[in-house]
Amino acid sequence: MSDKELQNQRRTIRPLSEIHEEDGKILLHIEMPGVAKDGISIHVENDQLRIYGRRAEDEVKGSYLLRERLVGDYEKIYTIDETIDRDSIEAVMENGVLHMTLKLKEEVKPRKIEIKTK
Amino acid sequence: MSLLTWDRENVLDPLREFERLQNEINQLFDYQPRQRGLFDRALTPPLDLIETADSVEILCDMPGVAKDKLELSVSGNVLTLKGEKLSEEPKDESKKYRQETLSGSFQRTISVPETADPNKIDAELRDGVLRISIAKREEVKPRQIEVKVK
Repeated sequence: MSDKELQNQRRTIRPLSEIHEEDGKILLHIEMPGVAKDGISIHVENDQLRIYGRRAEDEVKGSYLLRERLVGDYEKIYTIDETIDRDSIEAVMENGVLHMTLKLKEEVKPRKIEIKTK
Repeated sequence: MSLLTWDRENVLDPLREFERLQNEINQLFDYQPRQRGLFDRALTPPLDLIETADSVEILCDMPGVAKDKLELSVSGNVLTLKGEKLSEEPKDESKKYRQETLSGSFQRTISVPETADPNKIDAELRDGVLRISIAKREEVKPRQIEVKVK
């Protein structure tokens, strides 16, 4: 790879997340500051959930006196198992945080079996 | 006569000194930054401070911070950013799988270059990035001086 290509290649950042389960749903909150709604792409392929967030160009021409923010796009791949219903994945983008809801399949939810008496 | 009294016990026991050192080092390992005062110092949003030809731009990442939880104040050339990030607390703590994000109150104070005019501040929060634009003072803006030929 030439130097030029390396320069043009955008770096990827692993976004920070918070994952928990609630009412039979897995909730993912992924921090992706600088990514607009249109910049998000979510793909499910077999058992992989791939989240990609393209950061809007906010490069400012000038001299940097401080540079602490990371430069690049966000990418995260999660491995999801059989218990997740692939057809009902919801995602909402709010204030730079991607909120995703993964529903568990009905058959894996805990259920009560009633005992019939005859 | 010596003015200082010998602490005989300590002088005669060099091992005691090692013991003290060991305790001090152990304390270093136990040290945890504690939340002190009003603000949690562990939480500092990263920011970029850029000086362009006619303005000073500040970009600050603050995902998950709502507009009404953010407070911006200026005094002289010191800009103070205060805010609070609410956590996504689950109802059931045992069902928490991963926690990488931080939440809580934060505060950051930045000295803006003298060339910036604190009266002309523009701030915008979009997609979790706060962008503050401070115009430069008129007198420091680059000007082209026409040369008149007579």
